[in-house]
Amino acid sequence: MKTLEEVFETWEAVIGLEIHAELTTLETKMFCGCKLEFGADPNTHTCPVCLGLPGALPVPNRAAIESIVLAGLATNCDIEKHSMFYRKNYMYPDMAKNFQTTQGPIAFCMRGHLDLDVDGRGASERYRLDALKPGEAEGNITRTEDGYVAHVGITRIHMEEDAGKMIHLGGGEGRIAGATQSLVDYNRAGTPLIELVTEPDLRTPEEARLFMQKLRQIYLAIGISDCSMEEGSLRCDGNVSLRRRGSTGLGTKTELKNINSFKNLHDGLAYEICRQAEVLEEGGTIYQETRHWDPSAKRTIVMRVKETADDYRLFPEPDLAPYDLSDEFIEAVRAKLPELPDQKAARYSADFGLSAYDARHLVDHRATADFFDECMALAAAEADGSKFAKPLANLIINDVTAYLNAHEGEALADTPLTAARALSLVKLLTADTISSKQAKEVFAAIMDEDKDPDAIVEARGMKQVSDTGAIEAVVDEVIAANPDEVARYRDGNDKLIGFFVGQCMKAMRGQGNPKIINELLAKKLG
Amino acid sequence: MATFGEMSIREIQRGLAAKEFSAADVARGTFERIAAADETVHSFLETTETLALDAAARIDAAIAEGRLAEMGPLAGVPVGYKDNMNLTGTHTTCSSNMLKNYVSPYTATCVENTLRAGALPIGKLNMDEFAFGSSTETSAFGPTRNPWDLERVPGGSSGGSAAAVAAGLVPVTLGSDTGGSIRQPGSFCGLVAVKPTYGVVSRYGVVAFGSSLDQVGPFTRTVEDAALALNALAGRDELDCTSQPCDVDFTANLAEGVAGMKIGIVPAFMEAQGLTAEVKAKVAEAADQLRKLGAELVEVELPHAQAAMSAYYVLGPCEAFSNLARFDSVRYGYCDPGHKDLGSQYEASRHEGFGPEARRRIMLGSYLLSAGVYDKYYYPAQQVRTLITQDYTSAYEQVDCILTPVAPRTAFKFGEIGDPTEMYLSDMFTISINIAGNGGMSVPVGLGADTNLPVGVQLIAPAFKDKNMLRVAAALETVYGVAPVAPAFADGKVGA
Amino acid sequence: MTQHLSEADVRGIAEYTRIGLTAEEVVTMTADLNAIIDSLAPITEFDLDGVEPTFHPIGDLSNVMREDKVRGSFTQAVALENAPKQEDGSFLIPSILGEGGDR
Repeated sequence: MKTLEEVFETWEAVIGLEIHAELTTLETKMFCGCKLEFGADPNTHTCPVCLGLPGALPVPNRAAIESIVLAGLATNCDIEKHSMFYRKNYMYPDMAKNFQTTQGPIAFCMRGHLDLDVDGRGASERYRLDALKPGEAEGNITRTEDGYVAHVGITRIHMEEDAGKMIHLGGGEGRIAGATQSLVDYNRAGTPLIELVTEPDLRTPEEARLFMQKLRQIYLAIGISDCSMEEGSLRCDGNVSLRRRGSTGLGTKTELKNINSFKNLHDGLAYEICRQAEVLEEGGTIYQETRHWDPSAKRTIVMRVKETADDYRLFPEPDLAPYDLSDEFIEAVRAKLPELPDQKAARYSADFGLSAYDARHLVDHRATADFFDECMALAAAEADGSKFAKPLANLIINDVTAYLNAHEGEALADTPLTAARALSLVKLLTADTISSKQAKEVFAAIMDEDKDPDAIVEARGMKQVSDTGAIEAVVDEVIAANPDEVARYRDGNDKLIGFFVGQCMKAMRGQGNPKIINELLAKKLG
Repeated sequence: MATFGEMSIREIQRGLAAKEFSAADVARGTFERIAAADETVHSFLETTETLALDAAARIDAAIAEGRLAEMGPLAGVPVGYKDNMNLTGTHTTCSSNMLKNYVSPYTATCVENTLRAGALPIGKLNMDEFAFGSSTETSAFGPTRNPWDLERVPGGSSGGSAAAVAAGLVPVTLGSDTGGSIRQPGSFCGLVAVKPTYGVVSRYGVVAFGSSLDQVGPFTRTVEDAALALNALAGRDELDCTSQPCDVDFTANLAEGVAGMKIGIVPAFMEAQGLTAEVKAKVAEAADQLRKLGAELVEVELPHAQAAMSAYYVLGPCEAFSNLARFDSVRYGYCDPGHKDLGSQYEASRHEGFGPEARRRIMLGSYLLSAGVYDKYYYPAQQVRTLITQDYTSAYEQVDCILTPVAPRTAFKFGEIGDPTEMYLSDMFTISINIAGNGGMSVPVGLGADTNLPVGVQLIAPAFKDKNMLRVAAALETVYGVAPVAPAFADGKVGA
Repeated sequence: MTQHLSEADVRGIAEYTRIGLTAEEVVTMTADLNAIIDSLAPITEFDLDGVEPTFHPIGDLSNVMREDKVRGSFTQAVALENAPKQEDGSFLIPSILGEGGDR
């Protein structure tokens, strides 16, 4: 099989995503008052409504409607005031009513978009990006200094309900294929679910991965879901087809189902693009089918061939009143909109002078962004506090991220690193009290020993020299060695005090107590 | 002494207050009466002795403390429920093999409301399977007989609910009406039978047939009893999004008479094909009586009513197809044994579980909603609903209430109507009210001249003005008298 | 009578609705459905241009919602009370793929 780069010489990939997010942060299900809880004993969070008992009727959860409107506002969607729920009829045992309550042609959120910053290695997947100069646009992308921005349309976000869960028995590894029986648990049935559908605007697996990642950041920022791909609260299906470069028609698409990580989304799409190219180049036909990405075998396998379009007999749900959202309702939701990752990154650049790269990586995760905000709030009490922004960003993007990657499942909030400690560490570094190499040692020690940076520095002999006699000797040497600067200082150039402090520190290999150095310098120069 | 089933609500409550009998006596007497007389009628599918005696004990305790008046409008009154209404611990079969062994784990709001109003729950009543029918012949557990003539159907689908009252077994039953399923059996059995405005009574816990059409209402022999039952039933239910607040005392204006009221007559209905002469004559007579009582008769047009029938046979099956998809042998209901794959278990269970009429409507609905067909029937049917609703709105600019036939004829014999499309004509006068959603009721106006069987007239009120029709019904009651128990069952007779 | 549906169509609908029909039943069902669909003709004969549909006969009622508050759930035993087959607290069903593929 050709590589992706080789395939893209001839073919253009057209990718669209369908992303389902469970509204896990709510208390109750979409249409009944059963508690939302992952991992409970089977069928202990059920009632007439979510078991689909005869006679039961649905009542929508107001908080779920607020959540989807919030999601729409955060992804630049138009909020449709008039919409209805529909019944999507198909028989499947995890669907208690044998229809799914979902939305029809008009969803709560329509016509949104997200702009993706694609840079670094990922940008190189884009075919002939170098043909564009920074600032130049082509199609839905605009070239930047280190990559490009892709404008990706969102068709809609609609409200629906999740199905129950099944365990398949008798087949290999709990798979449905070969199973002789299945167990059905309806605890998850009726969990509020929002489905976002993108326009077919994505062209590379990297763009798809970034879209998913960015959407996850947004959903986490607005707090509507825990977005756990392992537990299935964030799920993604990818549709992909190929067309020859220069053609505008659409090829037959295949659908990659139930992708459970960003890497699998990228790798599954990349494989599927190469597979389709091979089939087409050998004169074969792409069938409209659902495929499954097997990350261990590194290939996609067919799950189901769709011979005809599914006919779900969609019709307006008669048991639910239609929606006629008021401006007040929408504005009340808008008021709950927190600062979004993009806005946060822009603020970091504007207020603290961080590079776009640093700012973007800080907001990659809500936890690191929140931590940075907390540190900067403490730093504000210091003189010229924003000078700590860059070293704090470095600490978080490099050391903290590396630590969290190495300690999977550990939340930043549960580590010994508090904002106060991070700021102390950065202050030690900024004041040249410790070197950057020592700073790394101190960071590791904070995490290991759960101690304050100052204590660590002291305990490890990075302790500064505070012996007045020793410092006085150095101060005298520095004054003697820099007669010109001494003269200028005495002429009123106060700023030179920093120069003398620096010289003393240098002489003492960064271990002199700056406070004592300052005091002695002031006395002797004064 | 009359049986308890022959008494009105007020008569029972007077007897209780005077300690002529206890609520436990009422419950026991009712079950004895059912044991004696229902063998021929076959209206009850299940009786609930324990539940009724428990409820009676609470009423008797209240009487002992002088608190009868606090126990609600149905205190001490035996009430039967159509078997599509869930009541915890009872079977709710919808007269289908599909649900033969289904035991309700919860209670419908309408049932709960009667219990809260002090009712003694007597049992569950036969019906057409899943309410698909107009004769109660499609019940998987055998038909119910009309107490007025045991060779004839009681109407349907709420045939058991009608027959139980007509045979003097209980004074009040609940039915549900999707296209006429309360009013038509009400007419066939000579009872007061009310389908309130859609939204007046909660549908929560009532097994759905046509979700946008179904409405629950009472069968009684007196208009006041119907009003008292509605007082217990009506109101917004947080478990039913389509229910609405209804803060009305339905008994309040029963005695006001019809002087000054404007009552609509629909000439096209009186000329409808299939309307028998005796029914036509009775409707005309009732109109004349109302005129004599001081009402003004006004001719009104309902130009789109002719399309109601076809709209109904689009909307009803479409909603039913979807509502009945849940009967799949997984969580409850009939499960054909021995299948190794779910597909064949589904197909065998649904084939065996559903009777022919249920299968027909499910398949019809599935076809009508399929791609390409939806735009030809379903969508236009919903547009026609708009036109029919507008017809009523225009008519109610001129009148307070409309008088029409209920059914084109009196009760027919078992097996007399075999063709499904002919059976559907039973509901030709009642269907448009379900389509529009406003209230309608059947009021008995004596016996037909040719068949000597009960004839009802239909009163139709504007949406949420159900008390208008009750007021007119009360006026007709002063002319025609309180609906009698069927003669063969009167005074404790058992119809043999 | 117009042939709206062929026997093959009826078999297809029976498959979709999961109602196993015998060969004889398909014949009767086809005749019954065609007769009923014929009787629906009036619905196709109106000029409905510009007429809004009424999907819900509830007047102006809209936005009916509940607060996000927990109500009681069934115990596992009650949830499974009517289950034809159960195992380990779950509803037990035979092989799904026997029915011919995933969704």
